[in-house]
Amino acid sequence: MKRAFVLGLAVLVIGAAAAFAGRTQSASAKPAAGSVVGTGSTFVFPLVSKWIPAVDNALGIKVTYSPTGSGAGIAQVTARTVDFGASDAPMTPDQLSACKGCTVIPWGLAGMSLPYNIPGIGSRLRLDGPAIANIFLGSITSWNAPAIKRLNPKAKLPDLKITPVYRADSSGSTYAFTNYLSEVSPQWKGKVGSATTVNFPAGTGARGSSGVAGVVKSTAGAITYVDAAYSIQNKFQFALIKNRAGGFATPGVRGVTAALSQLPKKITNASQLKIVDPPKSAGKRAYPISTFTFVIVPTSAGDKAQTLRQFVYWAVTQGQKFGPPLYFVPLPDNVKGFAYRKIKKIQAGT
Amino acid sequence: MTSTTYDPAAPETDLRRRGLRLGDVLFKGVSVVAAAAATALLGLIAWKVLALAWPAIQDFGLSFVWTDAWDPVAGVYGGLIFVYGTVVTSLIALVIAAPLSIAIALFLTEIAPRRVAAPIATMVELLAAIPSVVLGLWGILVFGPWIRDHLEPWIQATPLGLLPVFSGTPSQAGILPAALVLTIMIIPITSAICRELFIRVPRDLTDGALALGSTRWESIRSVVLTYAAPGIAAAVLLGLGRAFGEAIAVNQTIGNHNVIPTSWFEPGDSLGSKIAAEYVGATSLEQASSILYLAAILMVISLATNVVAQLVVVRFERARRAV
Repeated sequence: MKRAFVLGLAVLVIGAAAAFAGRTQSASAKPAAGSVVGTGSTFVFPLVSKWIPAVDNALGIKVTYSPTGSGAGIAQVTARTVDFGASDAPMTPDQLSACKGCTVIPWGLAGMSLPYNIPGIGSRLRLDGPAIANIFLGSITSWNAPAIKRLNPKAKLPDLKITPVYRADSSGSTYAFTNYLSEVSPQWKGKVGSATTVNFPAGTGARGSSGVAGVVKSTAGAITYVDAAYSIQNKFQFALIKNRAGGFATPGVRGVTAALSQLPKKITNASQLKIVDPPKSAGKRAYPISTFTFVIVPTSAGDKAQTLRQFVYWAVTQGQKFGPPLYFVPLPDNVKGFAYRKIKKIQAGT
Repeated sequence: MTSTTYDPAAPETDLRRRGLRLGDVLFKGVSVVAAAAATALLGLIAWKVLALAWPAIQDFGLSFVWTDAWDPVAGVYGGLIFVYGTVVTSLIALVIAAPLSIAIALFLTEIAPRRVAAPIATMVELLAAIPSVVLGLWGILVFGPWIRDHLEPWIQATPLGLLPVFSGTPSQAGILPAALVLTIMIIPITSAICRELFIRVPRDLTDGALALGSTRWESIRSVVLTYAAPGIAAAVLLGLGRAFGEAIAVNQTIGNHNVIPTSWFEPGDSLGSKIAAEYVGATSLEQASSILYLAAILMVISLATNVVAQLVVVRFERARRAV
């Protein structure tokens, strides 16, 4: 008992010392002007990690970014523990008012893929909006259901239970995916709705893209949603999705670019940046589930204001060319224009 | 010679007496401050959690606790799904872990030769050193799939499979996988305390029982277990408290589904897991304060368990003294 007490005391002392060391370290690591620290979205991380060396070369700005998830990005920029946050969903009114003067700027665009695990299917799975909604509503429960067979006449669909897998943490991917389902299924819109966390009626939840991907890998009959880059990097099979023009599209750069045609010429509000379920006029290539991803910056950023303006401006202009190899689509001019107007709001302020 | 000899009868010098007193005062001060700080901290944390949960407590009232709903889009929140998940996973873990822990402790103290007992005891205690997040990962990658492919089909093949809680499709994430991970987490704690208790059973008593002609099992049952009973009860309740509070490992293995599943094979969710998953990134103030309401419920359950553990010990002690 006595030994345990001494051991406990030692652990406590070491822990306190480590905490103290951590504090002094983070205090000394607090960057001078010319460097910015950010956190948030895992979705945009591959793109940001290409930007970090490039923006250092071009402008001498040192960027540090940790992919902790969109929810954490919003929470940390609200607490001002970082210079910028990144989120795949625009902020809700409650989140905006809590952030006290934050501006939300689009800086990336990519498609959302639906990887699946169906042993012996033989060909690429094809799905349409109502089928996906019914799978995630739990009303289609088997892979050989007539609604799926009709879309896949050539595939060998087994009599296997469908396990829908969703994100348990607050996620921009969930926001984009449920936005799409609300658009294509009135039943989904009425029963579940769209947000970064929703009450999924069926299936299993896991944390992070790697969490849901892990469940799909190890569970026959599972299907989930993750960004296209993640699926491609991990060599997942993902579904072709039927668009309004009747084509089965892939979440590649061309598919997402085609879906952009529905955006208005002049964008005045982040809520207009919705490109799920594009109209028939977008063509047969248009991929129906894509999402913008955003950087969140305080409008009164103190001595960091100039560096942040330069960095975000560089990201939405020069930075976009790093996108296509990673399945990120360069922002169109109307979205860039919207971003410029937002960037101007970042001031030293008080 | 006489000047250097210490005379205990002679009055002590002033300095020496004052030094002693200073030490006493210092020691007393430090212990009073430490005790007061710990008490105050408990109060402060409880107060803060309640204060942050207050908007939800006002909105939903006490019926939140038995409301079966969690829908951030519709703004409907209730705690029953998570209370069920927490209580059921922890109780399953307790029912499996308690006899196993006692058996391990008995093996180590009564049966195994010392040369074998020492390394095994260390290994069992080291099991507690595995961080819960690592245990949860192992649950996702190895244990969960094994449960789905082997354990759950096997349970369904036995007569137990007729029970509704063992019906449905086996799944790698659910109430049962989470409960089994919790079992692994609480065994080292309860078995270490039980071992400590059994070592302290006076040798005279067991020797006496053996001398009176009882078998080894009889002496264990009538002497060791009886003597250690209050401690065992407290150890088991401590393990239960540990299981109630676990967030990460449960989050990784329970399946995070907002329902009360009829089958233990199916995904559900627990209080700790929901708090860990949803507090960061809560999209509305209502959602954030509802999550803190869950935290308040969890705190009440855990504190109640600890209080009950202490009452049990007191009660047993009294009963033993009466005998």
